[in-house]
Amino acid sequence: MNRLDEIQRAFQSRGGTSFLLGLLLLAVIPSCGDSGRHTYQKSRAMMDTFVTMTVISESRQQSETAIQAAFNSIEEFGCLINFFSATSELSQINKNAGVREVRVSPAAFDLIEKALYVADKSAGAFDPTIGPVMRLWDFHNGVRPPDADIKKNLPLVNYRDVVINKKNSGVFLRKKGMLLDLGGIAKGYAADLAVGALKQHGITAGIVAVGGDVRTFGLRADGTAWNVGIKNPRQTGAKDEIMGTIRLTDKAISTSGDYERYFISDGRRFHHILDPQTGYPSDRARSVSIIARDGVFTDGFDTAVFVLGPRRGLDLIKEINRDFEVDAIIIDVNGVIYETDRVKETIKDAKNL
Amino acid sequence: MLLQDKYRIAVLSAYALVLHGFEAVLPMPVPWLKLGLANIITVVALFLFDFRTAFTVTLIRVILSSMFTGTFLGPSFVLSLGGGAGSTLAAGFFHYSLISISGRPFFGAVGLSLISSFFHNVCQLTLAYFIFIQRIEAILIISPFVLLVGTATGLINGIIADILIRNVRAPLPESDLAGSGNKL
Amino acid sequence: MLRIFRAVPLADKVLFFFMLTASLSGIFVVREALPQAADVIVEVDGRPVRTAPLSVDGTMAFNGDCGEIQVEIKNSRVRVSEAHCPNKLCVQQGWVSRGVIVCLPNNVVVFIGGRGTGTKKGLDAVTG
Repeated sequence: MNRLDEIQRAFQSRGGTSFLLGLLLLAVIPSCGDSGRHTYQKSRAMMDTFVTMTVISESRQQSETAIQAAFNSIEEFGCLINFFSATSELSQINKNAGVREVRVSPAAFDLIEKALYVADKSAGAFDPTIGPVMRLWDFHNGVRPPDADIKKNLPLVNYRDVVINKKNSGVFLRKKGMLLDLGGIAKGYAADLAVGALKQHGITAGIVAVGGDVRTFGLRADGTAWNVGIKNPRQTGAKDEIMGTIRLTDKAISTSGDYERYFISDGRRFHHILDPQTGYPSDRARSVSIIARDGVFTDGFDTAVFVLGPRRGLDLIKEINRDFEVDAIIIDVNGVIYETDRVKETIKDAKNL
Repeated sequence: MLLQDKYRIAVLSAYALVLHGFEAVLPMPVPWLKLGLANIITVVALFLFDFRTAFTVTLIRVILSSMFTGTFLGPSFVLSLGGGAGSTLAAGFFHYSLISISGRPFFGAVGLSLISSFFHNVCQLTLAYFIFIQRIEAILIISPFVLLVGTATGLINGIIADILIRNVRAPLPESDLAGSGNKL
Repeated sequence: MLRIFRAVPLADKVLFFFMLTASLSGIFVVREALPQAADVIVEVDGRPVRTAPLSVDGTMAFNGDCGEIQVEIKNSRVRVSEAHCPNKLCVQQGWVSRGVIVCLPNNVVVFIGGRGTGTKKGLDAVTG
C-alpha cells in the first residue's frame, strides 16, 4: 500500500511524466543486466550427425571461443578417421592392409588403441575391423547382401589382426582386404575431445552431444545435474519420444539401438549393429545405453553389450566395472528392461515395449 | 430513432473513421502496436450520450473502415469487430453497472479508456488464438506486451477523451457564442 | 498538464497502476513459465511443416498463400527474411528469439517452442 502511495505521489508530482517514461523504458529493456552464469548453445552438422555444445559461462566471449575450439577439434579429428575420405589416415591404414604399417597422429592412434581395448574386453562383440562385412550392407536402400558374400568377408573381421606399435604410433592390418571402421566408437571419442577443448578454454560446465553420444561435465546454470533423455526404441508417434531421463554430471552416455538405421525385409528387421561373429544384425536387444566417464568407452561398450545381449552384456559390465565405474540400461528384444543398480528405475514411461 | 440521434451517430462515426484512418497511415515501430485512437470516440460517446450510440458508432467504424481497406469479412475484420464490440460492451458494462451501484460514474474517462483498451486486446488475443495461431504459448508470450502497450495508449486516449468531454460539457462563454472566428 | 493528472479520478489511477504492474510482471512471469524453447517450428495452413533447431544457423523457404516465404535462423534468433504479402508485417517484425511471428496473408506461423518435437522440458540432450 505504501508503495502504491509512493508511486501515486510520484505520478502527481512534477516529475510524474518522466517517472512514467522511465517506467515504460524499463518495460522495454529486457532483463539483460543480470550478471552470472549463462547457458550458451551451438550446433553444427559434423561427423554425419548433429553436434550440439552447451556450455555454462559468465562470458559470451569465452564461451564462443571455447565452443569454436571444440568444434575445430572435432572437425580435425573427423578428417583423420573418416572412413569414406580417401585422404584420411584411416583410409591410409585400410589401403595398406597386408602391405605395411602406417604412422598416424596421436588422436587416431589413441582411438584405435581404445577400440582394441573394448574389442578385447568384449571378446570381439565389438570389433573395429567389421568394415569388410559392414560395407556389404546398404541400410539406406534396404538391400540385403547375398549370404555367400558375408561368409567370404567374415574371416577378414578380427580385431586380433590389428597390430599397433605404440613407439611410433604405427597401425598395421595383417590381412589384405581388412578394413578398420571406427564408426562405432568415434563419436564418443569426439565428445571426449570436445569436452577436453572446452575445459582447456576455461569452461567448467557443459554438455556435448555428438549425435546420441553425450558427455557432461560440471553442473547446469541452475546448479543441478544435466538432464539427458533416452529415446524410446519403439516410438509411439511423437518424433524423438523419450522413455526415461537420467541426471548426469562428469559422465558420458551412449545408446545403440536397432531403430537408428534399419530396413524391414520379409518381416524381419535388419539394423546396422552387426554381430562380428555372424556378419548379421544382432537380435538380442533393442536398445542399450551405457553410462561411464569417457564417451569413447560408452560408445564402444554400448555396441558390445548390444551384440552380447542382456545376460552376457551385464556380465561384461560387471567385469569392466572393476576397471572403472560403468552402468547399463538394456531393453532386450522382447522389451524387458535391465538396469544396473546405480541407474535403477531410470526407465519409467517406456511405452509399447 | 430521432433524427438528432442519427445525426449524432453519423458525426461521431465520421470522427472515429478519420481517427482510425489516421492511425492506419502512421508508421509504427512494432507491427502489432496500435494506438486505438478510435477508442476516444467510444469513450466520449459513452460519457456524453449512451451505450447504444457508442456501440453503433463502433460497429459503423469497424465495418466501414474494413470496406475502405478491402478487408471486409476477412481475418483482420473479425479481429477488429471482436475487439471493437468487446471493448465497447465491457466499457459500457462497467460504466453503467457502477453508476447503478454507486449512483455516479465510478471511473472517469481515463478508467473507461483503460478498460476499453484492455478488453479490446483480450478479445483480439482470444480471437487470434482460436482463429489463427492455436498456440497458447505464442499468445501468452505476446499478451503482456500487448496489454502493456494497451495500458499506455489507453491512458493517453483516456486523457484526450477527458479533455474533449470537459470542453464539450463546459458552458461556452457568451463572447465565444458570438463567433470565435472573428477574434482570430 | 499537471492539472489534467490531478483531475483524473483516484479509481482511474489505481486501475492504471494495477494494469501497468500486472502487464509488466506478466512479461517476466510468462518468460519464466515458458520452457526455454530450442526449436523453430514453421506451420503452413495450420500444419507444422518443419522443425529446425534454433541453435543451428540457416535459411528455409516455404510456399505460403502469397508465394515463397523465407525464414532465417541466425545466432539463436529467427526472422522472416523474405515474403510477398502486401504489408510485410512479418518481415518488419525482424529478429525474434522467443514467441512467434505470424504472417496472416501467407497463413504461415513461425513459432519458437519445444512442443511438437517430443523433447521434454528441461532436457539438455537426448541419447539414442
